[in-house]
Amino acid sequence: MRGSVLHLTPDNLQTIPVDSLGITLEHFLEAQPPASTHFMGGIHKFLNLEDYLLFFDVRDSGKLQHISFNTDKYVSVVTNQGCRKVTAEEYVRYMNAYNPDIFASIADLITDKNPSLKRVKKSVDRTLNWLDETLEQIKEGIHVFGVVTGHDKHEERVRSAQETANRNVAGFVLNGFDLDITSKERLDLMKISLNHLPKNKPRVAYGLGAPEYVLLGIFEGIDIFDTSYPSEQTSLGHALTFLLLENGIKNEQEKFIDLWDNKYRTDFRPILNGCKCYACQNHTRAYIFHLLAAHEMLATVLLMSHNLFHYLQFFKDIRKSINNNTFTNTAMQFIRASNITDE
Amino acid sequence: MVSLLKLAKITEQGVEFQSPHDNESTMLLTPEHSMSLQNSIGADIIMQLDDVVSSLTTGKRVEEAMYRSIRWLDRCINAHQKSDSQNLFAIIQGGLDINLRKKCVEEMILRDTPGYAIGGLSGGEEKDIFWRVVTLCTDLLPKNKPIYCMGIGYTEDLVVCSALGVDMYDCVFPTRTARFGNALTPKGSLNLKSVKFSKDFQPIEKDCDCVACKSYTRSYIHLQATKETVGCHLITLHNVAYQLRLMRNIRQAIIEDRFPLFVKQTFKDLFGNEEKYPVWAINALKSVNIDLLS
Repeated sequence: MRGSVLHLTPDNLQTIPVDSLGITLEHFLEAQPPASTHFMGGIHKFLNLEDYLLFFDVRDSGKLQHISFNTDKYVSVVTNQGCRKVTAEEYVRYMNAYNPDIFASIADLITDKNPSLKRVKKSVDRTLNWLDETLEQIKEGIHVFGVVTGHDKHEERVRSAQETANRNVAGFVLNGFDLDITSKERLDLMKISLNHLPKNKPRVAYGLGAPEYVLLGIFEGIDIFDTSYPSEQTSLGHALTFLLLENGIKNEQEKFIDLWDNKYRTDFRPILNGCKCYACQNHTRAYIFHLLAAHEMLATVLLMSHNLFHYLQFFKDIRKSINNNTFTNTAMQFIRASNITDE
Repeated sequence: MVSLLKLAKITEQGVEFQSPHDNESTMLLTPEHSMSLQNSIGADIIMQLDDVVSSLTTGKRVEEAMYRSIRWLDRCINAHQKSDSQNLFAIIQGGLDINLRKKCVEEMILRDTPGYAIGGLSGGEEKDIFWRVVTLCTDLLPKNKPIYCMGIGYTEDLVVCSALGVDMYDCVFPTRTARFGNALTPKGSLNLKSVKFSKDFQPIEKDCDCVACKSYTRSYIHLQATKETVGCHLITLHNVAYQLRLMRNIRQAIIEDRFPLFVKQTFKDLFGNEEKYPVWAINALKSVNIDLLS
């Protein structure tokens, strides 16, 4: 948010093995052009994130903003100071000033409840036009990912995927967040596009955060997940505890513990035994319970440290499992234990 | 107990107050119970339970509270289980009444505690009276024990009270004002929420070695201030660094025998021109032979 990881100052962030971060333009758009575009040194330096890979997009992938007064020329973005219009040309200009590692091309995302086919076609066309404009104007060395749209119209999703794949993009973004639907429905729509995207370029999915959906997404070909799942859990006072277990014996495991619960008042164990995060190495469940009850900000700092660390560990375990050729079984066991309707 | 006074009922036995967490349960805090809790927690310096009244209170209540605090000090001393590892400080009361304060100091010195706190101030009283109470206490208290003035935290207050002989302070001000977006500097407070900082690419304070100043610009912090918790954290880190540096500079100036000059320079940086110097500060410093006005 606003170019920082929620709750974490650099000393805390360094204890977590994060190497890339997603940044959102709408957080910087109080002034237009953003004040930070005047900063000599690029966005990495401005945000004190010089050691990280930065991935930029226009709108917050973590929450659905119900606004889209988009035209052929511009996209509307909501900021603290009101609505802003961003054209493709302006967006590229900002990217050239910021110099991120990768950015998602500007897209016409629809938030109307039931758009007509005509509207969806227009959104696919606009997004492709803007992608072409972007590819012409962007500096060498900054990678562009094409955004695959098409809303919930199957043919348009196919068309958008095929056409985007024809462009010289470095990867693809599957943005399901323009739709107010369940994770399962989102994944089903993404599958339609995924079938028409080349396998040799990375595919990013927005809005798939819960662990079982991450696993399902990987089965469908998604490589990178952009999600606010760890942050959301943190704000609820939850500490993540799910584990991807090889030879998954444990069928029943708690996905998280709710540290607002009184039962943790005298529980002097760490959140998760064996976890190497700052919170688990230095503090107890009882302490975090106390901090939450006392409305201390340290609660969210500790919870976020743990949740982010834990979530990244989950992905490490996934990669290891894929390398060991045990992923299919391990993941299916986890999914089955998660009680969702799967294939 | 100042901050919880609203919820409290005070008797000779102790302080009964409503739990700040839920509005139902009540807790009775006696001198004995407060010592037992502090012994468990294990802090190096612990405070007596005092009967403190708002500094704006007048009349018999002030005297009652002062005498009761002495009796409670004795009860705390008796109940203290770890006097060889935890230092119990007495808290001088007596409101703004010079005679009551004198009496309290006389009595509490006899108890010979490891240190003494000046309590019951910083509650909105007139500054010109405040410093006179402080200096009375520092005149009378033993010179070989630390003196701790409670609730003091503005730059000018810290400098003046140090000149009057105070050694230790505590205050919520630097961290609280940080959460509201204000950064403390030698030239005064910067309201980083203000849009005038949106394109300011300097650090908060030049030459400050805190995380916020070493790695970020005012522009970045402006973006975070009051909107992201990271903004609160970064400004907090800076303000704490600022306070510690201020105290370090005070100590160094005293050690190097240039404290009066240090005081004059600090006021010049903070207020700009002499017309803006608070009169109470001029008076207080004059009483210890520091002439703020050139």
